[in-house]
Amino acid sequence: MTDTASESRDAPVLAPVLEISGLTKTFDDKVVLDGVSLTVARGQTVCLLGPSGSGKSTLLRCVNWLEKPDQGTVLLCGERIGMRPGGVVPMGNAELAKLRMRMGTVFQHFNLWPHLTVLQNIIEAPVHVQKRRREEVIAEAEALLENVGLADKRDAFPSRLSGGQKQRVGIARALAMKPELLLFDEPTSALDPELVGEVVAVMKSLSQAGSTMLVVTHEMGFARETADKVVLMDGGRVVEEGGPEEFFGNPRTERARQFLQRYVSA
Amino acid sequence: MIRDFSLIWQSADRLLDGLINTVLLSLVGAVLALALGALLAIPLMASNPVLRLVSRGFVDLMRCVPFLMLTYLVYYGLPRLGLRFDNWTAGLVAIVVYNTAYMAEIIRGIWSRLERETIEAAVAFGFHGWRLVSRIILPQIVLAAGPMIGNQLIQIIKDTAFLTIIAVPELTHAANSIQAQYFIPFATFITAVLLYWALCMLVEVGVYAVERIAEKRR
Amino acid sequence: MTLNAFLSLLNGAGVTISVSLAGIALGVPFGLALALLRWQRVPLLAPLATVYVSLLRSTPAVTLCLLIFFALPVIGIEIDALSAAVATLALNTAAFNCEIWRSGLMNFSRDQIEAARTFGMSGPLTFRRIIFPQLWRTCLPSLVNEMTLLIKSSTAIAVIGVAEITRAAIRIGAQTYDPLPPMLVATGIYIVLVLVFVGLQRFTERVYGHAGGAA
Ligand SMILES: Nc1ncnc2c1ncn2[C@@H]1O[C@H](COP(=O)(O)OP(=O)(O)OP(=O)(O)O)[C@@H](O)[C@H]1O
Ligand SMILES: [Mg+2]
Repeated sequence: MTDTASESRDAPVLAPVLEISGLTKTFDDKVVLDGVSLTVARGQTVCLLGPSGSGKSTLLRCVNWLEKPDQGTVLLCGERIGMRPGGVVPMGNAELAKLRMRMGTVFQHFNLWPHLTVLQNIIEAPVHVQKRRREEVIAEAEALLENVGLADKRDAFPSRLSGGQKQRVGIARALAMKPELLLFDEPTSALDPELVGEVVAVMKSLSQAGSTMLVVTHEMGFARETADKVVLMDGGRVVEEGGPEEFFGNPRTERARQFLQRYVSA
Repeated sequence: MIRDFSLIWQSADRLLDGLINTVLLSLVGAVLALALGALLAIPLMASNPVLRLVSRGFVDLMRCVPFLMLTYLVYYGLPRLGLRFDNWTAGLVAIVVYNTAYMAEIIRGIWSRLERETIEAAVAFGFHGWRLVSRIILPQIVLAAGPMIGNQLIQIIKDTAFLTIIAVPELTHAANSIQAQYFIPFATFITAVLLYWALCMLVEVGVYAVERIAEKRR
Repeated sequence: MTLNAFLSLLNGAGVTISVSLAGIALGVPFGLALALLRWQRVPLLAPLATVYVSLLRSTPAVTLCLLIFFALPVIGIEIDALSAAVATLALNTAAFNCEIWRSGLMNFSRDQIEAARTFGMSGPLTFRRIIFPQLWRTCLPSLVNEMTLLIKSSTAIAVIGVAEITRAAIRIGAQTYDPLPPMLVATGIYIVLVLVFVGLQRFTERVYGHAGGAA
């Protein structure tokens, strides 16, 4: 995996799955993203770290255009998101939806749809947005549930699940879209500490299986062991990025050292 | 007393006609009001202040006016606008206009309390437009609104009795004409009351069923 | 519309207000009595109260009014239109008030009642000295809300010829062959009336907290 990563950085034969450049976003005078650039190559797991309020969630929301950035571009496999080719005319909802359905998002607070069962949550978008055949999607969904260890919760409603189970359903729901890119926004921060492990285990196996993932997290263990690249954000800028060994072993910037002292002291 | 009820039994067809009209007026009125109320909820939730002010004005006005008075206004007012309806239709129009406001307010209340995140998740998964509304937003509203819409339906059933005043042949009207003919007011009105009771019970059973469905998801 | 017509509309409004207030004055305590029967699970009477509430909550005020006005004389109770009107509103609102009082009672803290017991207070004394002084405050906003609804349903008494506000408007319309203007003015008066109650409700909510889930 690491091989592919360095290869794609040195000699970009294929367009990276995600290429963010010069992204800027202000909320009433407050600069939240200040020229952020970031690439995620195929098969890479990139971990996005940073203190609270540094703009990580906003960055992810800009990637699937839930938030409209002021400047900069987001390319998914070389295709511009949010703007039609030429970069002047904004995309309509239908065009955006076409790109969005190629990404799978896992939310901090799960955001499962409460009126649907676990299985229905998973097949909802593949059937009704991607218009794939229902039987086929159900079969895949059942396999996915098996993989995340929740086959027996198929017909339960989300309200009856623990946080860890909800999040594993959230991951299965994202995977059912067969996404080219998986976005995770602090998938374990809303979980009780003893439930973090089960979710992290699922994410690790996804990463090892070659999924392309952009993960906002405070789980330093996960980042150190799984990431191909670690990116540290602060005040809306990328302050350091590099492989996990250099980043955790020998950070280049003072800001990264401070951050690591605070978070990895334990 | 037994004789009275047997007289009513003889006029059962008239009572049944009245009951059918009450049910028809209530159901058709409720369905139309719900549909229009859902549409009206959109300007109530709009970010445009003019849209919001106008729609809110209508809703608040309806909430201040008694149903009978609106019925009279429709009954006397529509012909002025060049629209001539029979009493039955005028009554239905009054029910729909009046309850559109109440239904809109019910839907707005629930919509504004819906978790924004579940809607956002749907957008992130590529839902938009009508499919977003029909598959993600509306089902959640319907489940949460069941009891309130049920209460409103009961209110509508009871309001239809006002239409006897403009001579719409609904249940109370039928009862009144039977009692006037045979002079058996006690038996007829008690029968009518029991029929209203049964109708409202039916609604409550329906609400209970929706509640059971919603319960599992909370 | 003449001044005379306007005055008779105001007169109708006066009838609406006084009949409604009489209905409230009778219906609120009656509702409390029903609630207490159910809360205390008084044998025989509690289930009766439950049936009463369920029945009355699904009976249209118009139908109830006709029943009282036409049927009571048949079983030997003479009643004039005005009394029938007051009785209609009182019996109807009592059912809704019962639910408000009852939810207030159910939410009342058990601890306080137990504390009163340990001080040797009897049931009725506990109710009078401990429960009621707090209960009416928590129930007031919902009760006022129900009063607003009562004012709106009070038009039902027009059906037995009580000259309340809609009836007055119809009468003027019949005299002038132009029913719309008096009805519009009557609507205006009604809106003012309802707004007064809505204002009262906002005020009680501010002073005594939000309306509970009852009604
Ligand atoms: N819709 C919004 N309107 C105004 N300000 C916003 C909005 N969304 C985010 N912000 C602000 O942008 C800044 C960055 O927020 P963001 O959620 O991206 O941070 P984060 O890095 O994800 O933090 P955390 O680790 O707490 O999730 C914060 O100061 C936040 O208050
Ligand atoms: Mg965040």
